[in-house]
Amino acid sequence: MNLQKWTSDTNSGILHLRSPPLSTLLFLIGFPLVVAVILISARGMAARSVVVVFAAIVIAAAALSLVLPRAAFMEASIALPMESIEKGVFVLELALAAFIFYLGIRHTRHFVSLLALLQAGLAVTTQVLYGRTVTVATPLAADKFSLIMAVIVGVVGSLIAVYSVGYMKAYHEHHREFPDRRPLFFFLQFIFLAAMFGIFFSNSLSLLLFFWEVTTLCSFLLIGYNGSTESRAKAYLALTYNLLGGLSFAGAILYLSATTGVVEMDRLVSMQRDLALIPAALLAFAGMTKSAQLPFSSWLLGAMVAPTPVSALLHSSTMVKAGVYLVLRLAPLLRGTLAGTMVALIGGITFLVASLIAISQSDAKRVLAWSTIANLGLIVLCGGIGTYEALWAGILLIIFHAVTKALLFLCVGTYEQKTNTRDIESMTGLIVTMPKLSIMIQVGIAGMFLAPFGMLVSKWAVLRAIVDSNPLLVVFVVFGSSATLFFWVKWMGKLIQVTEVRPADEKGIATRQWIALSTLAALTIALVGFYPVISSQLIEPYVRSLYGMVTTISQGNLIIMSIMLGLVALFPVTFFIYRRKVRVVDAYLGGGNVDSSTRFQGAAGEVKTMEMRNYYLEKIFGERRLLVIGSIACVAVIFVMFGVAL
Amino acid sequence: MSAGETILVALIAIIAAPLVGGLLSGIDRKLSARMQSRWGPPLLQPFYDVAKLFQKETIVVRRSQNFYVYFFFAFMVFTTGLFFTGSDLLLTIFALTLAGIFLVLAAYKASSPYSFLGAERELLLMMAYEPMVLLTAVGMYLVTRSFIVVDVARSSVLLIQTLPGIFVGFVFILLFKLRKSPFDLSVSHHAHQEIVRGLTTEFTGPTLALIEIAHWYETAVVLGIVALFFAAVPWLAAVATAAVFFFLILVDNVFARVKWQLALGSAWIVALALGVGNILVVYFIR
Amino acid sequence: MGMRAFKRSPWVLHYDASSCNGCDIEVVASLTPLYDVERLGVINTGNPKHADIFLVTGSVNAQNVKVLRTLYEQMPEPRVVVAVGICATSGCVFRECYNVMGGVDTVLPVDLYVPGCAARPESIIDGIVQAIGLLEKKRRYMRTMRGRMEEIVVGPATAIDAPEILALQKIVYQNEAEMYDDWTLTPLKQTLEEMRNDFADKVFIKAVVGGKIIGSVRGWMEGETAHLGRLIVHPYFWQRGLGTKLVTAIEARFPQAKRFETFTGQKSRHTMEPYQRLGYLPTRQEKVSEHRDRIYFSKEREAE
Repeated sequence: MNLQKWTSDTNSGILHLRSPPLSTLLFLIGFPLVVAVILISARGMAARSVVVVFAAIVIAAAALSLVLPRAAFMEASIALPMESIEKGVFVLELALAAFIFYLGIRHTRHFVSLLALLQAGLAVTTQVLYGRTVTVATPLAADKFSLIMAVIVGVVGSLIAVYSVGYMKAYHEHHREFPDRRPLFFFLQFIFLAAMFGIFFSNSLSLLLFFWEVTTLCSFLLIGYNGSTESRAKAYLALTYNLLGGLSFAGAILYLSATTGVVEMDRLVSMQRDLALIPAALLAFAGMTKSAQLPFSSWLLGAMVAPTPVSALLHSSTMVKAGVYLVLRLAPLLRGTLAGTMVALIGGITFLVASLIAISQSDAKRVLAWSTIANLGLIVLCGGIGTYEALWAGILLIIFHAVTKALLFLCVGTYEQKTNTRDIESMTGLIVTMPKLSIMIQVGIAGMFLAPFGMLVSKWAVLRAIVDSNPLLVVFVVFGSSATLFFWVKWMGKLIQVTEVRPADEKGIATRQWIALSTLAALTIALVGFYPVISSQLIEPYVRSLYGMVTTISQGNLIIMSIMLGLVALFPVTFFIYRRKVRVVDAYLGGGNVDSSTRFQGAAGEVKTMEMRNYYLEKIFGERRLLVIGSIACVAVIFVMFGVAL
Repeated sequence: MSAGETILVALIAIIAAPLVGGLLSGIDRKLSARMQSRWGPPLLQPFYDVAKLFQKETIVVRRSQNFYVYFFFAFMVFTTGLFFTGSDLLLTIFALTLAGIFLVLAAYKASSPYSFLGAERELLLMMAYEPMVLLTAVGMYLVTRSFIVVDVARSSVLLIQTLPGIFVGFVFILLFKLRKSPFDLSVSHHAHQEIVRGLTTEFTGPTLALIEIAHWYETAVVLGIVALFFAAVPWLAAVATAAVFFFLILVDNVFARVKWQLALGSAWIVALALGVGNILVVYFIR
Repeated sequence: MGMRAFKRSPWVLHYDASSCNGCDIEVVASLTPLYDVERLGVINTGNPKHADIFLVTGSVNAQNVKVLRTLYEQMPEPRVVVAVGICATSGCVFRECYNVMGGVDTVLPVDLYVPGCAARPESIIDGIVQAIGLLEKKRRYMRTMRGRMEEIVVGPATAIDAPEILALQKIVYQNEAEMYDDWTLTPLKQTLEEMRNDFADKVFIKAVVGGKIIGSVRGWMEGETAHLGRLIVHPYFWQRGLGTKLVTAIEARFPQAKRFETFTGQKSRHTMEPYQRLGYLPTRQEKVSEHRDRIYFSKEREAE
């Protein structure tokens, strides 16, 4: 990558906040809310499915319209009655806190109630002490970064919603022991989408916090969806960690209101660094809990008990992205500071440890969960470094990861539905038994780490960002990414390894699911070709507006990567040119084959069957041990982070 | 370099690299034989082997297994072209990794126990040497401020002076990459190994020949990276590369194969101690 | 370069059938510095798929019959079999033992015999060198045929083809003779005159590639039953579905037949498989000579 430094012509002082018209932003927040209400009151699943699909299309289209070349962009205006909105939001926040408080008491999770109480307390203190003095100029605005996130939520989120219609139907057919609360499910899904748009479009920090906590609540309710004791326990774990983050967030707002009175994101980011370090640390902490960084990763693992669309939507593609979104927003503040280095360290340790742990997991969803945590760690690393290169890499990572991970989760969910297992070992020979699905999984896996797919490009960018700022962090990236190589390829290998030819059976998978899966697969591939466009139109302007400089990939390297992509693309073509003239023979088994590649003549004349199982290396990369080590390390780093911020 | 020049250099590299690699392979076998008090095969033996293999029948276990090998070969050629036209070092490494992954996938596809074991071990080995390889690129960048091979090659800094740790670490993992004892766990040139031929067990004839030729390409590329450490003094680069190659053959003949735990652990410790250590030193000196 | 390459790079698969290891030690000794066969380019691969020369020591017993066949099948063409040591050649003093079936040639077409007990490394190396020559010969034959696999034409044969089919018959039945240790098989003894007479009352189908006949089968009607027999395919073209093609072609020549019958030797797997694949089921087995049984197969024509 050649660095191309441009200086922008904006003042380095106050940012002119340019944003799409407020109406569009409000539509994206409000429309899903309306849809949610319709969904919970509608009668019958058929009607509900129609509404979901229709709403998904509208939301995706609306989000995309924001980034079209001729999309309207103007100075963000304040055409809202801010006072009443603020008061309304405050009341809603208290209601939220009260609800959580009540839940905590009801299920004897007193710590949760305590957290809710504390957070409410902070909110009240802020409002009482500084409610009149601190004003918000632009509560809602969307710069290019927000738009990128909005498109991700709009497109990926909608696809997942479409998928979940077919999925949840089969889910309840298979699991008659769980109560059918699908109205609530879809209601929460769209509330969540609304809240996500709210997070990305909020410039006011308290507004952001409100939407943030709404997503926490949605996550809690959705994890506990099936009503079993186990899922409730996991839901409370998630709630606890997320509330911790929310508490930190509220603390940041209180601090900011007390000291500088700056409670808006755009102004916060352009503040003087030494004034903003404490709130930055607090907000980074909030982001890290939401993004399941060590030591808070167990909630994401626990969340895997939820139905697959929940895992895909909340816990890989969108909600956890809110956490890293926040950290990336803080990048200009964290750059070059010790606190920022600590944040980067947490991200790095998380990336390394999570990647190592993923090696020992044979449950596909757990592999995906740990991989998600690892990639979020990488993004946090970028945020902590905070240079323009790092920011560029981080945003790119978000885009690619959201799409690819959603694809993988949905594929695994479909697989689990068909076969009732999530074990990777059971996926042997999937290329023959479920060809379409296995190809999509392979596309997803390739998208996660293979050149020239997007994640590789992003990792490349991260490496460059690190060597230009803090080379020691490179340790985490090089060791972590070699670990990812191992567990992805061994999964991929399992899919194509065929020891006995069984008939293909992909029946019983809803059309809607196929539509979602194929669209995501196509997107994964398309992104590889189109990311330069995304970069130049969306990412680079944003980065440039903050730093006055951008980084991009040189023309030469783009050509090289296109050639690589072209070569890789030839591969599927080869499946159509099968040479009939090769001689097919069984595998070498020392000559003892018994009419197959896996059965052989054993010692006493009995026929034995060979089984081939991947290495999981639990003794070395076992979850428990590594988790403890990583958590201790990160806790220490967190203390240092707060210490140096103070 | 203009586009035309680039293509010309790439073509020359793509034609010359396997010839050089094959010759080096022949030297390897001859030297090993001499170290074992034998005469050994003629220097051109690898070429005879490959020529013979092209005339053998193709046998497969799964019909699509050879396609992975073709892509392994294609990307190995591509990587060679990439490196010798002086392009981005990181990109070269990623392309090399991609090629290696295709070979592993081919072995998985072959669906045989031995090739499967070879594939798992190969993945372990890739995990083992990947950090050091990346650290090499990072180290070179820190000293020359560029990832571009041409820039590194033209740099007036004698890299070995500032990157001795990384150099030693890289030579250490060359034992992995060139499939030399004690780290030839997944596929070996030696007569027997406990998993038959490992990765290449189920490949015959022309496909096996392609795998061998791809290995020649790889040899050329990694020795090219070794030469980069001495690029500032060309004659020294030639001598040092030859010395490293001889050293690798010597180690190959002296050591027995180790288990994967030791292979993985030692590679990572070397990467950490020598690679990261060297980077620390370079970083703090600047 | 091509032809010389085999001379320079013979890769060996060394298998111990039931040897006392004496010959094995001598084979391995050839690799040691004293003899150093690697200077001839010989590599002892442990993998049939990489090997050109199949070195077998020790005699054949019931346990390793299948292994030998499997390993041989897994070797890519061109390949030669070298029986090393007198046990592999004929079974030697153990030949009459209850467990021993004989030398390697009871199972595989052996190209070269290296006698000795134990065979000396010099003999073994000499054997390998001669085997290399055989490899080249086979390679040359393969080459003329290889590129023309698509051009195999299956069609009716006439009396003009009699000499060629007879020659092919003799080659293929060599294998059978060795398998059953019966050199009196009728197909081997048939004269050209008799062959020409056969053409008068039987239907012949031939498979041709590059102008050479490489496969054939014959059939004749008896009442409502069509009898098929003498299904022969040149060994180089085994395992390509040619047998099935030939049988299908000749079945089509008897549209009025309600039943098809044929017989094969009990060990003749390559002849049995095409029939079995086409739905023929064994009906009876009768002993014809000391080592040879005949298994009769038949198939009812499916209702239209």
